[in-house]
Amino acid sequence: MLEPETLVFVVDDDDSVRRALARLIRSAGHAVEVFASAREFLAEVDVDARPACLVLDVQLPDLDGLQLQRQLGATLPIIFLTGHGDICMTVHAMKAGATDFLTKPVCDTDLLKAIESALESANQRFASRCERDTLRQRFNRLTPREREVMALVVTGRLNKQVAGELGTAEKTIKAHRARVMTKMEVTSLAQLVHIADRGDIFSAGGTRRPA
Amino acid sequence: MATLRALKRVLSGHRGAGSKNEGITKERASHDSIVDGFRILWQSLPLGIFMLGSRGEVLAANTRAETLFGYEDGEMIGKPVSLLIPEFNDPHSPVWRDEASSASPGRLPESAFRLVARRKQGAEFPVELIVRRSSFQNDASTLAFVEDRSDHYALLRNQQDLAHLTRVSTMGELAGSLAHELNQPLTAILSNVQAAQRFMAADPVDMAEVRDILNDIVQDDYRASEVLRRIRTTVKKVDVESVPLDLATVIRDAVFLLHTDAIVRETRVALEVFDDVPAVCADKVQLQQVALNLLLNAFDAMSQVAPKERVVWVGLTLQGDDMARIAVRDCGHGLTVGKLDAIFKPFYTSKPHGLGLGLSISRSIVELHGGRIWAENNLDRGATFYVTLPVGSDTESQKSRC
Repeated sequence: MLEPETLVFVVDDDDSVRRALARLIRSAGHAVEVFASAREFLAEVDVDARPACLVLDVQLPDLDGLQLQRQLGATLPIIFLTGHGDICMTVHAMKAGATDFLTKPVCDTDLLKAIESALESANQRFASRCERDTLRQRFNRLTPREREVMALVVTGRLNKQVAGELGTAEKTIKAHRARVMTKMEVTSLAQLVHIADRGDIFSAGGTRRPA
Repeated sequence: MATLRALKRVLSGHRGAGSKNEGITKERASHDSIVDGFRILWQSLPLGIFMLGSRGEVLAANTRAETLFGYEDGEMIGKPVSLLIPEFNDPHSPVWRDEASSASPGRLPESAFRLVARRKQGAEFPVELIVRRSSFQNDASTLAFVEDRSDHYALLRNQQDLAHLTRVSTMGELAGSLAHELNQPLTAILSNVQAAQRFMAADPVDMAEVRDILNDIVQDDYRASEVLRRIRTTVKKVDVESVPLDLATVIRDAVFLLHTDAIVRETRVALEVFDDVPAVCADKVQLQQVALNLLLNAFDAMSQVAPKERVVWVGLTLQGDDMARIAVRDCGHGLTVGKLDAIFKPFYTSKPHGLGLGLSISRSIVELHGGRIWAENNLDRGATFYVTLPVGSDTESQKSRC
C-alpha cells in the first residue's frame, strides 16, 4: 500500500463504469474520488493539494479527455482509458505526457500497475514541489539587500569582492551573508549554491540574477 | 461452299462473277438491286452480326460488328470466333448446353446469352449474344447477333456499388455504436468482478460491498442485452424494397459481377436457367447478396480442386407451382456430415479468414422472403446449396412482410 495521502481521481461519464472502477481501485487500497465530467473535475479539485493521479476516459461529453489533459498540463499523471484503441489518439495523449493508455475493458493488473507507477511519480513531483515551495518561502523572507548578497555569494565571489560590487564594507556583507544562511536554513555555502542552482527560487522572488 | 462464297461476296460488296457478263437482262438488274438493298440493310443494322462457318470462322461481319470489336473493314473475315468471344467455342458454354437440351437441334432457344467479348486491342466487354443455326442452300452456317451491354452493366455495377456502400456504411456505423454500447457494460462487469475477487481475498470479507457488486453486475448484464435487442430491432428496420423480380436476371447479374473473380480463380460457371420461372416479390439487392454469397462460397470450396475441374453449376427451376428453386452446385470437397445445418449459424466458418456471416445473413434474407435455404452433399463430389422462394406477389408471407 502506498502512502495514505495519495489519491486517485476517476473521470468517466458512465455511472456504472465509474462505480466499478472506483471499487477496483479501492480494493487495491487507494483512496478514490470520482467525477462524471471533466468540468466537474476542474471545478472541484485542487490538483496541487496532494499527490494524485487521474484515471480519465477519453470519450467524455462537452470537454473530452484530451482537452482536459491540455488544460491540466503536467500537474498530475494521467492514465487514459478508451473504448477503442485509436493509434492517432494514443500518440497524441502519450506525446502530451500521458502515463498510460489502456483500452476498455481494462484488466485489473494493468490498471493497478499503471496507477502504482503514476502515484509513484506523483509522490516525487509532490515532494519536489513541497521542497520548492519551502525554499521559496524562505527566500521570500530575505530583504532585497540580502537577496543581492546571496545572488553574488553563490557565484563564488569573496565577501570583499561582494562588498566592492555593492559599495559597502566587507563587515556588513559578512553580517548579511550570515543572516542569509540562517534564513535559508543552510549551514554551508555549498548548500546555498545547491538551492540557488534550482533556479526557480530566484525567478519566484522577483530579484534580478547577476549575469 | 460455292453458295456461301457468293453470299460472302454479296455481303462484302462484290458482285458475283456473272455480273461482268455483257447484256445484262432486266431480271439481272432487279436481282442486283435486291442484293444492293440487302447489303445496305446488312451494313446499317445497329446490331453486330457475324456469319460463321462450320469451323467457327468468320465468313462475314457487318459494320457494326467491326466497329464493336475494333476491326478494320473486312479484317475480321477468316478469324476464329473464339478470338472475339472466347466462351463461344467452349463446349461447356451455355450456348451449346442449351442447344443440347433443345428439343429440335438447329433451332436454338430465343434467349440471349450474356458473354464476355474481346476487342482487337484485348479489352473485354459484356455482350448479349443470340445465335441462330441456319443453312444457306445446304451449307451449314451460324448467325451470331451481338449487342454491346457495357452501358447496362456499368449502370448495374454502379447501382451495386452504391447499394453495397450504403449497406457497408450502415453496418459500419451500427457496428461502431454496437461496440461502444457493449463495451461500457463489459468494462463495468470486468472491473466489478475483479474488484469482488480482491474484496473476497480480504479478511474479513466486506459482504455488503460484494452484494452491491453482484447487483451492479446483474444490471450491466441486462444493459448489454438491451443494447443487443435494440440493435436487432434496428437491423430489422433497414428498408426492404419488395418488387417483382426475375430470378434469372438476378442470377445472371451475379454471375456477371463475379466474372473477373471466376477468371482469377480459374473457375467456370455453367448456367441452366429457365426463363419461364415466374417473378418473385423480393428485395433485389438482398437476393443479389444471397446469389453472390453462394457463388463465392462455391468458388472458395473448389480452391483445392484442379483448375480444369472447377465448375460451378447454377440452376433455376420451378418447383411445384409456387416455388422457384435456385441450386448452386460445386465440385469441391463437400461439407462435413452433421455440419449441414451448423454452417448457417452466425460466426460459424470453415475458412481461415471467414467471418462466418455470409450464410447466416443469406438465411435471414431468404427466410425474410418466405423461402428456405439448405445444403446437401452431392452423390459424387462437392455440395449443392438450394434456395427456394415463393413465386408471385400475393403469398401470405409476402403480405405479412410488404
